[in-house]
Amino acid sequence: MPNLQPYADPNYFVYLLLALVPLAVGLYFGKRFVTYEVLVSLAFIFLIFDDKSHSGQGLALIIYSIWQFLLVWGYITYRKKQNTGMVFYATAALSILPIFLVRLSGAGIFHAQLSLLGFLGISYLTFRSIGMIIEARDGAVKDFHPVMFLRFMLFMPTLSSGPIDRYSRFAKDAAVAPEREHYIDLLGKAVKNLFLGFAYKFIIAHYAEMTYHYFQGMAMSDAHHGMLLSWWLIPVAYSYGMYLFFDFAGYSLFALAISYVMGIESPINFNKPYGAKNIKEFWNRWHMSLSFWFRDFVFMRFVFLFLKHKWIKNRNTVSTLAYFVNMLVMGFWHGLTWYYILYGFMHGAALAGNDVWIRFKRKHKDKIPHNKFTEGFAVVLTFHFVMLTFLVFCGFLDTFWFHR
Amino acid sequence: MSNKKKLWQIFGPVLVAFALLALIFLLPFSLTHYSQKSLQESSVSFSTQLVKGEAVKNAAFADKKVNYVPFFGSSELSRIDSLHPSVLAEKYHRNYQPFMLGKAGSDSLVHFLNMQEMQGTLKTKKAVYVVSPQWFTKTGSDAGFDLFYSPLQLVDWLLNIGTNKPTTTDQFVASQVLERSVVKNNAYYNRLLKQIENGDSLSEASLSTLRFKHRILSRQDALFSRLEKSSNYKNRVLPAAKSLPQIYSKNALDRLGYEEGKKGTSNNAFHIKNSFYTTRVMPEKNSLKNSQKNYNYEQSVEYAYFQSVLDNFAKNHTDVMFVITPVNQRWAKYTGLNNEMYQASVAKIKYQLQSQGFNNIADLSQDGGEDYFMQDTIHVGWRGWLALDQYLNPFLSSGTTKTDYTINNRFLSKEWQNLKPSAQNLSDFK
Repeated sequence: MPNLQPYADPNYFVYLLLALVPLAVGLYFGKRFVTYEVLVSLAFIFLIFDDKSHSGQGLALIIYSIWQFLLVWGYITYRKKQNTGMVFYATAALSILPIFLVRLSGAGIFHAQLSLLGFLGISYLTFRSIGMIIEARDGAVKDFHPVMFLRFMLFMPTLSSGPIDRYSRFAKDAAVAPEREHYIDLLGKAVKNLFLGFAYKFIIAHYAEMTYHYFQGMAMSDAHHGMLLSWWLIPVAYSYGMYLFFDFAGYSLFALAISYVMGIESPINFNKPYGAKNIKEFWNRWHMSLSFWFRDFVFMRFVFLFLKHKWIKNRNTVSTLAYFVNMLVMGFWHGLTWYYILYGFMHGAALAGNDVWIRFKRKHKDKIPHNKFTEGFAVVLTFHFVMLTFLVFCGFLDTFWFHR
Repeated sequence: MSNKKKLWQIFGPVLVAFALLALIFLLPFSLTHYSQKSLQESSVSFSTQLVKGEAVKNAAFADKKVNYVPFFGSSELSRIDSLHPSVLAEKYHRNYQPFMLGKAGSDSLVHFLNMQEMQGTLKTKKAVYVVSPQWFTKTGSDAGFDLFYSPLQLVDWLLNIGTNKPTTTDQFVASQVLERSVVKNNAYYNRLLKQIENGDSLSEASLSTLRFKHRILSRQDALFSRLEKSSNYKNRVLPAAKSLPQIYSKNALDRLGYEEGKKGTSNNAFHIKNSFYTTRVMPEKNSLKNSQKNYNYEQSVEYAYFQSVLDNFAKNHTDVMFVITPVNQRWAKYTGLNNEMYQASVAKIKYQLQSQGFNNIADLSQDGGEDYFMQDTIHVGWRGWLALDQYLNPFLSSGTTKTDYTINNRFLSKEWQNLKPSAQNLSDFK
């Protein structure tokens, strides 16, 4: 059997799209072939894990899915009768447990063997299941449908790196076939996304990555001369920023295109993020399905909890604190390394600082100009700040300073 | 708008795009014209694209003005200084000009596939093959495989086999290549190579799809091999040639190599080129001490890869000279590399060559202690290049001699790969 990593090379699209033709024809005629959809999903997931170097991951995925299945099933069954905070928090904690252990062992803090629990996509699957537990707590998800749960958890197009969907939204799409008019629009979007994705990922990101590696090499030769900083770190940051965007946005476009062909409108992930006027807007445009997930399930929950219990009275203080918590959790989620955590901290600080600035600006409306030039300046400033945080995020500084 | 019309609007452009693509790939116009200048630059570009593709190789070796001779090798090829083979050939108007194929990481398995794209050349031209004992590590130096691999090589190889029964060498190489994920994960090549591995002939149907693939891939190669630009010839070879004396005199050039080597290696006691020393050695100098104590080149799958290359030379009756490279002795002492082991692996390589009739060997392996023979740790430079010229020039400047090789497939076997060489057991190996 060949091994096929998702969206890795052009052949993958040929195989996948051919496999999806019967499903698409069915959807066009108003029929959703659920069994076929599940079989194709499983087959392509199997092909990710079917060689020696990946088979352990495949096993981990199966065990992980059973674990989450039992937790969500158990919690929804319980929630029908009772609703205590303790049980909710305990279930959520158990749901996070696998990725928590994987991250610990990845950082060398815990048994290295625990990294065996990890597999491609674990962090994204965690969002799906814990999101579902939270939706159940809120009453947005009332019943547990085993098949729908598995279709949601193991939805192949977005398995490895999102976009992160919500169960209640997904289930609505997946239960029926879309209207024909609407499905044709989806196919149109799918074609556009695929070709834009090819340009992003296979052309632009490819060259951006080459320049990124080139600048890394130049910076490392300064490191070998014992320098603590190097001018080459600047192009390292920008080339990485370009690579990261075009690679990830390209990937997201593929995932959406395939979702659309399957008649599922997964949420979009990027909306011209480098044109954002401030850091808050940046997070409304960058890795959107993740940042909205965090906004709804971390930031808002945190703010409500604090205001409800009146632990802190001042709203501004609560939201400042919530920004830091939100971004630090995101940093930890990426991995337990100093640079992910610092990255989270920088964005937390920037979001809080941005709020302070906006309040200040509102108070002094008459004195602070607001026009095209200030807006342009804001876009440029935000962009450069983001690039600086990406220099931290990419981890190259770790190599540059500590692994010379 | 009707649904049908909408569907046309969506998929029509896609169909047009594929049709245009098909035009570019299938219409019979040639894209493979290369200027003299660009071939000259390619000859010292050390680009991976040259090894991957066939367009530039075909153009260079078919060139009527310059007699390009393939130099197969790895990292040593790129050590250009005043006495580098390309510089000497340029300056002294030799009737050959080296065409360098390979850079760090290109070992015999890479070159076996590389050669599949130029079998015609190997039938008519002489060749030089530089063997680095460093390739011969226990599991082979396969880090470079992905870098140099292209599907076009496989297609050419399979077309070369044609409907014939695969030879033992073909079977062996198929089994090795199938272990690389770039090949294994391609269902199409995987299936065909399994057939070769099992010794089954390819069907006529397989061959016609292969011919179609060849058309597409070689067109792709011709389109994209132009994208890489290099200027080593202009910036390094020509200036170096300018500084040489008008008349070739071995003694004068040797003195010049001595002077340049002395000047170029002034910042360290190992006689390593200054820039190499500051960037590659100095930062890790302490950790490198005795770091090569346990290196061993005596037992390696690479001996079998090497054999596949020999088999291919024999098949094409290529008149070929082998160069065996030394290591910098001053450096080897510091890193603890065992010289006896090194010489034993050289003896094993030479036995494999000579017992099959490959007798053109430039064995430099003992000379790594000479002053300014090496440019850095394991690569010859200055006086080393000049010493090599004493072998290369007579060989390449004279006419082809008829070859007489007798291939022994036992050199592909595990016994040979794992044989610990000694004078006795080498001569016993038949």
